[in-house]
Amino acid sequence: MNIDEIFDNTSFTVDREAHIVLNHDICTGCDNRGCVNSCPARCYTWSQEEQKMTFVHDGCLECGTCYVVCHKNAFTRWRYPRGGFGVAYRMT
Amino acid sequence: MSRNYQAIVIGAGPAGSSAALTMARAGLDVALVERGSFPGEKNMFGGLLHRMPSLEKIFPDFWERAPLERHIIKKGVTFMTGDSSFSTTIEAGSFDKPPYNGYTVFRPRFDRWLAEEAVAAGATLITRSTVDEIVLKNGKIAGVTILGRSGQISAPVLVAADGVLSFTAQKAGLRKPTFDPAQMAVGVKALIDMPRETIDERFGLVRDQGFANEFVGCTEGVRGGGCFYTNYDSLSLGLVFHLASLRTSGKTPYDLLNAFMEQPQVAKMISGGRLLEYSAHLIPEGGYDMIPELVGDGIIVAGDAAALCNATGLNLEGINLASHSGVVAGEAVIAAHRAGDFSKQGLTAYRKLLEESFVIKDLKQARNAPHMLHNNRIYQEYPEMMCDFMENIYKIEGVAKQNVTSLFLKSAREKVGLGKLLADGFSAWRAL
Repeated sequence: MNIDEIFDNTSFTVDREAHIVLNHDICTGCDNRGCVNSCPARCYTWSQEEQKMTFVHDGCLECGTCYVVCHKNAFTRWRYPRGGFGVAYRMT
Repeated sequence: MSRNYQAIVIGAGPAGSSAALTMARAGLDVALVERGSFPGEKNMFGGLLHRMPSLEKIFPDFWERAPLERHIIKKGVTFMTGDSSFSTTIEAGSFDKPPYNGYTVFRPRFDRWLAEEAVAAGATLITRSTVDEIVLKNGKIAGVTILGRSGQISAPVLVAADGVLSFTAQKAGLRKPTFDPAQMAVGVKALIDMPRETIDERFGLVRDQGFANEFVGCTEGVRGGGCFYTNYDSLSLGLVFHLASLRTSGKTPYDLLNAFMEQPQVAKMISGGRLLEYSAHLIPEGGYDMIPELVGDGIIVAGDAAALCNATGLNLEGINLASHSGVVAGEAVIAAHRAGDFSKQGLTAYRKLLEESFVIKDLKQARNAPHMLHNNRIYQEYPEMMCDFMENIYKIEGVAKQNVTSLFLKSAREKVGLGKLLADGFSAWRAL
C-alpha cells in the first residue's frame, strides 16, 4: 500500500474549507511533532529546511489521532467537516 | 431548518441508531442526526461485530435481517516476530449455530441498515448534518445547531452518540477538554479483495463460516497489535497502536501496516489480494477509568463517546457495548418523558441500567488491564520468547534434547530476562 495513492483507495468529498487549521508558530516551537509520524494519512509534513509544518486536509481520514497526539494544542480549529464532506468509506 | 422533536440523537452509529430505534418504537418523535451523507459513511472498525444481545431482543431474527457477512466459527491468536509466528485457534461447534457469537460486517452497510430500522420505527434521519453547538434556553438544553446552516433542531433531551471525540459531551461539560494519549489508540485497516472460494479454501471455511485472528508482536515494538477477519469476498487486515507509544516511536501507521502485510506468514494469508480500501480511526482504550460523566441535565452520552470500549483483552469489544448503551439510553429518555423530568436526576436511570449490565461490569472487571498493557515487553520480547521456545521444542539438531523446562528458561532468559518475567507475571495476575 502506498500512502501517496490514498485517493485511489479511499473516497473523499473534499470541502474547500479546511476543518482543521493550525497555528504554525506553535508547530515551529514544538519539541515532539508526533503528528507527523502518527497521522495515518500523512496529512502533516515538517520541513526542517523551512522550519515549517504543512497540513493538507484533503486526504484526512477524520480519525482524530492529531487531536489527541498534539500536546501543544496547535489547532486554531479542529472540528469534523461540514455535513456531507470529508472521507466517504464505501465498504470497510 | 427548525423543528421540534421529543429527543435528538447525535450520530447514527450503533449507539445512536440503537437509541433512536428504542425511542421510536416507544412512540417518541426522535431526530437522528448524522454528519455523513448516509449512516456508516464515516464509520470504521476492525471488522468484527460481536453478538448483539440487545438487538436480538428487538429483532429475534437478527442474523437473517441484518446485512452481515460471515459468522465467526474460528478465533485465533498469533504471537509473531519478523519471520516466525506461534498461533493458537479455537473452533467451536456452538459458534456455528444461531445465535451466532459474532460476524464480520461492513460498517457502511450495517450502520445504514440499523439507522433505516430506526426510520422504519418512526425516527427522522437527518443526514449531511454536523452538529455544531448545543442550544440552551433558560439554562436548559433546548436543541442543537448544525454547522454551516441557520436555524436549529429543538428537543428537551440529547443523546450524544457522536463518537470517540464527542464534542457534544465536551460542550456539555461532561468530558475533559483534552484526552490522554495513554488512553487512546488508532486503528488502521486494509480491506483486501479476494474470491470467496480462495478464502474458504485458504482458511478452512465452508458455507458462511468466518475466521478471526489477533496478532501480538507485529508492531515493531510499538504498543499495539494486529487483527485479521474474513468477509465473504474480502479480507480485513489491521493494526492498532497506543497513541502514547506511536507518537514517540517515529514510526508511521502505514509503514508498519506494509511491514505487517509483508511478514512471510501474513503475506501468504493475503497473497493474490488487491487493496480495496484504506481506513483509520481512534479507539478509546482507557477502559473504566476513561468513562466521562454519563449523564447531565438534558443529555446522555453513549457508545464510543462514553468510552464504552473493552479493548484490553483478547476479545476486542466496542460495538456491542455501544449498541447496548444506546438501547439503555433510549429507555432512560422514555422514562424521563413519562415523568416530564429531563434533569440529570430524571435521566439517572441510564447510569443505573448501564451499571447493572455487562457494559460497566466488564469494564470494571478489566479496570487494571489498560495499565498492565502499557508494558512494552508484551509487544516484542514476549512474542519473540514464545516463538523461540516453540521453535526450539521442534528443532532437531542431532544432539541430545534439553527438557521443556530448561528450553523455556533459556528462551525466557535470552528474550525477556527471568526477573522481568516474574515481575510481569505477578502484575498480570494482579490485573486479571
